[in-house]
Amino acid sequence: MSRVLSAVLAAVAALLLLAITAALFGHSPLALLSILVRSSVGSRFALEGTLLKSVPLLLTGLSVVIAFRAGVWNIGGEGQFIVGALAALVASRFGAIASLLAAMLAGAAWASIASAMRLWRNAPEVLTTILLNFTAIHLLGWSVNGPLREHAAQYPQTDLAAATLPPLASGVHSGVLLALAASVAVWWMLYRTMEGLRLRATGFNPFAARWAGIRVGSQLARAMAISGAVAGLAGGIELLGVTHRLFERFAAGYGYSGIAVALLAQLHPLATIASAFFFGALVTGAGELQRTADISAGVATFGQAVVILMLIVMDHVRTAR
Amino acid sequence: MIQLAHVTRTYGATRAVDDVSLRIERGEIVALVGENGAGKTTLMRVAAGEIAADAGTVAAGGRVELVHQHFMLVNQLTIAENLALPHPGFRFTTRRGIEREAEQTIAASGIELRDVARRVAELSVGERSKLELIKAIARKPATLILDEPTSVLTPTETEELFRVMRRLADAGTAVVFISHKLPEVLAIAQRIVVMRNGRVVAESRAAEANVVSLANTMTQSPFPPSGGKGVERRRGGEILAIVGVAGNGQAELAAKLRDEQPNAAHIPEDRTRDGIIAELTIAENLALRNERWNPRDAARHAERTIALYSIRASGPLQRAGDLSGGNQQKVILARELERRPKTIVAAEPTRGLDIEATRFVHEQLRAEAANGASILLITSDLDEAFALADAIQVIYRGRLSERLSPAEASEKIGRLMAGVA
Repeated sequence: MSRVLSAVLAAVAALLLLAITAALFGHSPLALLSILVRSSVGSRFALEGTLLKSVPLLLTGLSVVIAFRAGVWNIGGEGQFIVGALAALVASRFGAIASLLAAMLAGAAWASIASAMRLWRNAPEVLTTILLNFTAIHLLGWSVNGPLREHAAQYPQTDLAAATLPPLASGVHSGVLLALAASVAVWWMLYRTMEGLRLRATGFNPFAARWAGIRVGSQLARAMAISGAVAGLAGGIELLGVTHRLFERFAAGYGYSGIAVALLAQLHPLATIASAFFFGALVTGAGELQRTADISAGVATFGQAVVILMLIVMDHVRTAR
Repeated sequence: MIQLAHVTRTYGATRAVDDVSLRIERGEIVALVGENGAGKTTLMRVAAGEIAADAGTVAAGGRVELVHQHFMLVNQLTIAENLALPHPGFRFTTRRGIEREAEQTIAASGIELRDVARRVAELSVGERSKLELIKAIARKPATLILDEPTSVLTPTETEELFRVMRRLADAGTAVVFISHKLPEVLAIAQRIVVMRNGRVVAESRAAEANVVSLANTMTQSPFPPSGGKGVERRRGGEILAIVGVAGNGQAELAAKLRDEQPNAAHIPEDRTRDGIIAELTIAENLALRNERWNPRDAARHAERTIALYSIRASGPLQRAGDLSGGNQQKVILARELERRPKTIVAAEPTRGLDIEATRFVHEQLRAEAANGASILLITSDLDEAFALADAIQVIYRGRLSERLSPAEASEKIGRLMAGVA
């Protein structure tokens, strides 16, 4: 079975399971699916909503693609997203470009803390990146209640960022183009540069990579930094394009959702575009379900979980032949 | 007893096994010989039920056990624990309990392996292969298949293995023995089956076969009965062989040289773990040491390399992991040698390779030496050391002996390797 087919089947299976679950709880599965579709891609307004949700998912997905391809388990997208946004806010008075560059640098630096611990003390990055997520969440909480709190001091949130991303069409900011360009750039890096070949080689077989003269440690550190930079960029774009200010629940799980996005895309940077759009639609549709059909928006998370489980099953079917 | 009828198995565009029928009787020892990539291992994996055939049938009268060329042991566990692993179902036991069981299993197998509380990681390669064999015999197979069992064994260990094989056959087990070493094959097998390009091309009784005719059927090209140093030495370039029984520090030496001399060519001992990146294509594997990566140029370059090294592959975009061992080794060799390195460290460069591939590797090393490269050949194959080396050093428990000329070495080598000199 081809990888594409198993990804598509996993996505379809997730929707089916969603419908079946809805039926078990007395909702009409067809009505539910039709609300999902209508409210995510059914109108211009719905489509814009889906696109807005897809942008951070695409970038955090790409971040995971880079890391997983290199064989480093960067689960820290959430934290890198947050510190990226914090840096973007602070640097926003120098303009949007400087702000996004600051976001990437901050994301890379945050991720590099994990690689430093891995290289010097052999601390597994799965743990350190998750712990750094909590650190980042509290850093954000402290910032919006303390040094970065709005001047009005009314809510635990920051003032508006000094820069914004110029809008493309009504309701959609130009970050969409940046995210698409990032997909192509990541594809080019992975498949058309020596850096990408070495990165993939290290991910597949670090032992053989080492014998082939690749400096595995610094290769992993670079992959982690690039991965963190992309997650940081996601945070910066979300700030300048959508929320314009920071508050405690700013990240909203985008960092973690990136893992599902990347896995559904079978770790391919261009397939990540479709995968991010699918999850973006699911999140947007789930919001509408909550408003009109009284179904918790948690179904979006449910959908992500089912997709990952289905992919594991498919993978097993594919390799067990 | 086992009977294969019209078995076919393909990998991508390659027909690894092509319409093969084979029957092995109770109590028979059959040798399966052929070049790398001839389809021997694939055929036997089908026989053991590890992989499915695309077409054809397998009928086995009882259990079939395949002992792999590569070890399938858990390094972190002890001998006893490894032997206890296949136990089905749930039970309570103690460390002492499984150790006693292991001792009984080992005694019943007739193979000598002491101290079952040792971890596999501490065992020598020879001991590990004994453990694999014990594990297989313990399951009382009706058919036992051994894939290249002697490539890591010393001559004494090989004889011990042959005694075990004969005893199993006498007790009614059908034994299949995959090998490249034709003298061994003639010594142990009753019947010899030759494979080439996925097909059985010849079958004969061992009593009627000889090395030269077998080699000729295996390779198609005429095989010179005796070797000799082909290449005239012109400049510098010396081949120094480090010989010793496996596990005396060879792996550590090679790893140290890899880290200290990154610009030298390194051919690692464990080619599936350290040499090849299975998931990448041939073109990608060849390009790993390059400065730049361009898929189109790399594919063109790989095409030339495939032709030059006569690598059996469907093309530059084939996954390197789908190649046979010998062809993988050629890919590694091509990658390491095409930079014209001044120093080459080759560890067991012909382990598990067939005659043709071995000859090819030897020719490449000699040619590099003739071009002025200095070569360190780490090998446990004494024939290889004497065939290639200008000087020999013996490694024993991590220490190197003095430098010996081949003539000096031929007298002292046995004692030096055993650590009694």
